[in-house]
Amino acid sequence: MGEAGEGESPRGAGALPEPRRSIAMDSNHQSNVKLSKTEKKFLRKQIKARHTLLRHEGIETVSYATQILVVANGGLGNGVSRNKLLPELEKLGQVDALLMPPNKPYSFVTYKTTEESKKAYATLNGQNIVNDLGQKIILYLNFVEKAQWKELGLQALPPGLKVVEEIISSEDEKLLLESVSWTEDTDNPNFQKSLKHRRVKHFGYEFHYENNNVHKDKPLPGGLPDICDSMLEKWLKEGFIRHKPDQLTVNQYEPGQGIPAHIDTHSAFEDEIISLSLGSEIIMDFKHPDGVTVPVMLPLRSLLVMTGESRYLWTHGITPRKFDTVQASKGHKSGIITGDVGDLTLSKRGIRTSFTFRKVRQTPCDCSYPLVCDSQMKEPPPSFPESDKEASQLEQKYVHQVYEEIAGHFSSTRHTPWPHIVEFLKALPSGSLVADVGCGNGKYLGINKELYMIGCDRSQNLVDICREKQYQAFVCDALSVPVRSGSCDACISIAVIHHFATAERRMAALQEIARLLRSGGKALIYVWAMEQEYQKKKSKYLRENKSNQGRQEISSDPSAQELFVEPVPDTGHQDSACSIPSINDFQKGRYHSREVANSMLPIHTNRTSFHSQDLLVPWHLKGNASKEKPTEPFGPAGTHDTGPVLHRYYHVFCEGELEAACQTLNNVSILQSYYDQGNWCVILQKA
Amino acid sequence: MKLLTHNLLSSHVRGVGPRGFPLRLQATEVRVIPVEFNPDFVARMIPKVEWAALLEAADHLRLAEVPKGPIQGYEQDETFLRKMHHVLLEVEVVEGTLQCPESGRVFPITRGIPNMLLNEEETET
Repeated sequence: MGEAGEGESPRGAGALPEPRRSIAMDSNHQSNVKLSKTEKKFLRKQIKARHTLLRHEGIETVSYATQILVVANGGLGNGVSRNKLLPELEKLGQVDALLMPPNKPYSFVTYKTTEESKKAYATLNGQNIVNDLGQKIILYLNFVEKAQWKELGLQALPPGLKVVEEIISSEDEKLLLESVSWTEDTDNPNFQKSLKHRRVKHFGYEFHYENNNVHKDKPLPGGLPDICDSMLEKWLKEGFIRHKPDQLTVNQYEPGQGIPAHIDTHSAFEDEIISLSLGSEIIMDFKHPDGVTVPVMLPLRSLLVMTGESRYLWTHGITPRKFDTVQASKGHKSGIITGDVGDLTLSKRGIRTSFTFRKVRQTPCDCSYPLVCDSQMKEPPPSFPESDKEASQLEQKYVHQVYEEIAGHFSSTRHTPWPHIVEFLKALPSGSLVADVGCGNGKYLGINKELYMIGCDRSQNLVDICREKQYQAFVCDALSVPVRSGSCDACISIAVIHHFATAERRMAALQEIARLLRSGGKALIYVWAMEQEYQKKKSKYLRENKSNQGRQEISSDPSAQELFVEPVPDTGHQDSACSIPSINDFQKGRYHSREVANSMLPIHTNRTSFHSQDLLVPWHLKGNASKEKPTEPFGPAGTHDTGPVLHRYYHVFCEGELEAACQTLNNVSILQSYYDQGNWCVILQKA
Repeated sequence: MKLLTHNLLSSHVRGVGPRGFPLRLQATEVRVIPVEFNPDFVARMIPKVEWAALLEAADHLRLAEVPKGPIQGYEQDETFLRKMHHVLLEVEVVEGTLQCPESGRVFPITRGIPNMLLNEEETET
């Protein structure tokens, strides 16, 4: 029997070296690496942040070995000087160059040979180093093609954000501060709530912290203080603000107090949210859902204006501490803190009072950020599952229900069988019994007429389509396939296992496939790869960005067109052989994640590289749209909606991860392991 | 659902294990769909068939002329192979049920498709 994929070696040239934390094998091939839940969580956060920060800096990391490494966390910007870093690097090989860009929390090291850089990659990843400020830093290394980065400029402010300096005079500042009485007055309907961290007072409408919303039909008597009213009128006239707010929250922060990162409830307030800073300057941190954090200086007597993305999508918060790290050269001016270590200085906080003005919304929010919108999302946005039950619920909502809904459209985009899979099937002996676990629309069930193939899928609607084509198919869950053990000569499972939301469930799916095989039987498994660029070639998935691939059905979502990769989608974790070494608490410095939304599943932008291993991939549903409508040109991310957008959950696999998982099965051996157009693939044989 | 497919299906209700096979077949609508006869293919199937299960299912469908087991030299016996071809590959259950012999759980067959999905309490963890 011929083998599929002749000439494919399990590891292509330039494959990454073994990660530092290798998976030890005992005689029963059981994995001895069992990460605790906390460790897995930290690992996930680390990898996610690492990919994000690099991406936001314009640094493109690659998954194959080169001579140049980017050393994340090892930069002048986070206090690591040359005389601390270079000796460590030189231990691993001959360093041709060490480039340390000023103000950046990373550096670039070029080794003389790839062998040396590979050694450095394997050894230094996760290694501790002590910086000039005496802080313990963890280094993360990644291969790059070039020692190149994007300059952080003013455009790095969250979109829609502006800071207006010296918007009021010192006299007005004094008047405003005096206008707020903090004495306890239970008769006063302008409640003064004493929260754990800071003092708060509301005007216009009371804000309720239990549900983070206002009581819209119960306005507070008195409205806004007169002095505010005239100020707001002035700002409107001068064009600093566009709308007249009707709600005011006064916050007073003592040094050491802060406010956790949050997004102001969409349904409560209109777009423009403005905040006046009195008494003390402060650093406010803005964080994007994919992890990047931008620290913004709010000077004394400045007005912060948040609109659009900065209001709806980025969280904002103030770290509870007594000193802020600011840039000495910029004095007390607004802007981003870029952290040039030579320029950093500590600024002691004073008592800061903020006057935050907002306009209460009377209608549901209809912003463009539905996943973080309480009007558009009835439940909280999906987050990384912490239990089997949560995983099952996530899959129910973001896999099963979606496929049922998109079945017809999906099937119409899945018509080209992939050559290696066809090869595998055609090489099987005549009369083989073959199970296709997760058969979808039955694409492979009729490839080889000499086989008896049965397909199963979780989606009734997709199985119906198999039936229309006269194939044998039934509905079941891949975790529990109702087929006799050892009855199949072969199995295939193409683009299925990446829909399971925990490592345990993915393992269970593999175990089922192994169970079905008779002794000597073979299985072919395909999963979507994190690395969409491999051996210097971009997968078709990436290459098809913005191109209109000759399909009769022109859809506004490129991902709906089927190519060699399935649809399309950061956080490596658990026992993946992803090149993540030791697990440690996430290092501080500028890149530590804030709490809110840190385990939210990111939404992937179709046709781009993956930055997280667990993510949601959009599907733009077509098929019911009227034919008379002119087809819309699609944008780069397929954002034009002629219909609903559904999200499917994926866990994309890192190089070696699928292999490692298969290796823990004690009754199969790996015959082949390869990369095929954005997928990691294995061929297994049952003992 | 063909009888060869039925021959592979087994109940996966929690705890039944191999006692979930074979599923008890009942049909309210059966069709015969002709399939091109490939003697070589059928001959290769014979060793893989669980004969008792096949006979039981064929019995429930009231099929006639079902061989009781492989006969000597079956690979060359066209009559035998044609009969097996018919039983295994040409009889399609369109509407009916499959019942787990151990737990009694019933799985529906609709439009030729068995729905083997279990709800949460029933699945094996």
